[in-house]
Amino acid sequence: MPATVAPVADIEARGYAHPEVLVSTQWVADHLADPNVRIVESDEDVLLYETGHIPGAVKIDWVADLNDPLTRDYIDRLGFQRLLRSKGINDRTTIVFYGDKNNWWATYAFWVFRLFGVENLRLMDGGRLRWAEEGREIVTAAPRYAEGNITVKDRDDIRNRVFREQVLQHVKSGKRLVDVRSPEEYRGERLHMPEYPNEGALRGGHIPGARSIPWGRAITPETHTFRPASELRTIYQEENGLKPNDDVIVYCRIGERSSHTWFALTYLLGFSSVRNYDGSWTEWGNLVKAPVEKP
Amino acid sequence: MDRETRIAWLIDHAQRPRFRGSLPDADARVPGGNPGCGDIITLYLKANEGEDRVAAVTFEGVGCTLSQAAASILAERTNRLTPTFAEVLDFSYEEMLDLLGRDIASSRPQCATLALGTLKGAVKTVEMNRKLRAAGHTDEEIGELRRAVAAQAEGMGLVIGEGAELAALDL
Repeated sequence: MPATVAPVADIEARGYAHPEVLVSTQWVADHLADPNVRIVESDEDVLLYETGHIPGAVKIDWVADLNDPLTRDYIDRLGFQRLLRSKGINDRTTIVFYGDKNNWWATYAFWVFRLFGVENLRLMDGGRLRWAEEGREIVTAAPRYAEGNITVKDRDDIRNRVFREQVLQHVKSGKRLVDVRSPEEYRGERLHMPEYPNEGALRGGHIPGARSIPWGRAITPETHTFRPASELRTIYQEENGLKPNDDVIVYCRIGERSSHTWFALTYLLGFSSVRNYDGSWTEWGNLVKAPVEKP
Repeated sequence: MDRETRIAWLIDHAQRPRFRGSLPDADARVPGGNPGCGDIITLYLKANEGEDRVAAVTFEGVGCTLSQAAASILAERTNRLTPTFAEVLDFSYEEMLDLLGRDIASSRPQCATLALGTLKGAVKTVEMNRKLRAAGHTDEEIGELRRAVAAQAEGMGLVIGEGAELAALDL
């Protein structure tokens, strides 16, 4: 029986453009035994799944599973297909993502799955934290599924992904950019920690013309769930002037927080063209002669 | 140790951390943070009097399972071996990954090595404080020097010492 937590309005009542991609914790609880549903946990914390997870959920790790081990890129079509089949995913499986950090890595995995054209994707609103706070069941036993038969398409890096040369052209054209990092990172006050330069950059600041809209603004802190569409419109459209038909690029440090905003703009507000720059500041802030703006 | 046993070992350290807490008579208290995912470790170090050797360490922290397990495992190892300062500084990040198990730790190197980096920072702090005292500086003067260095580093976009906690928290 779920514990008492801050209530949240039904997803269908929040006015989203594509409410079908978001499912509640109750929906997930009702589909734990559904053979056509595969629940996928994707976390920042590499051992969190092993400490306990939603019954039946499989783990997909952004580094170990989705990243190419040599090149800074994602695995290829066959590798991705092997991965999904190993999780018992079929062509008709509905895949539900959830994870820690308000679903950063869940939306990142969602985004990578979309690059390969995978359909029937869902995100559990509120993520792992909401599930835990509701006192729902957590288990440690890893499930075993028979090999799946999904066939995935070649990766499409055009529609939802963008690279540095395209970002540069985007800047020159005066099109919309959203920097979803913290205000300190946007202002160039924070680069990296001493001795931890891997996610750092040689220059601080932001891509010229980018608006600062930290990813977390899309979330209601008390419930960990997405804000209703009216509040999201206030943040992204009224306060920051974005329009649903704008050509928008989102970025952060390595592309995970910006996946969260990509999801909110694309599916909750129905923006027609939002691309995630996964090179983000770890690439741009180290790129020779890349233009940088610093207030 | 097989992968399953190693995962159980790491989770046990994260859930029942050894040497967790402050060290009242520590010679150095050094915070370290990982802004990538919000891990924070504050390392307390007590050195042997008149000797470049660690006497005891403890830690406080919050963060992901691996970062906290690594801190506990490193604290346990350090208190068991009581290494010299040189031995701490020579213990490499690669060796730390080996200690934790590369099959798990190599996918999150920053989380796995945060405690070690902070321990090295604590050793360097004690070493420098001793040099400054030997040069005639009072503890108050040393404190002022450290604050000035931190302020200068902040202006360069770096976060050192106390600022590390805030930097890691504010994502």
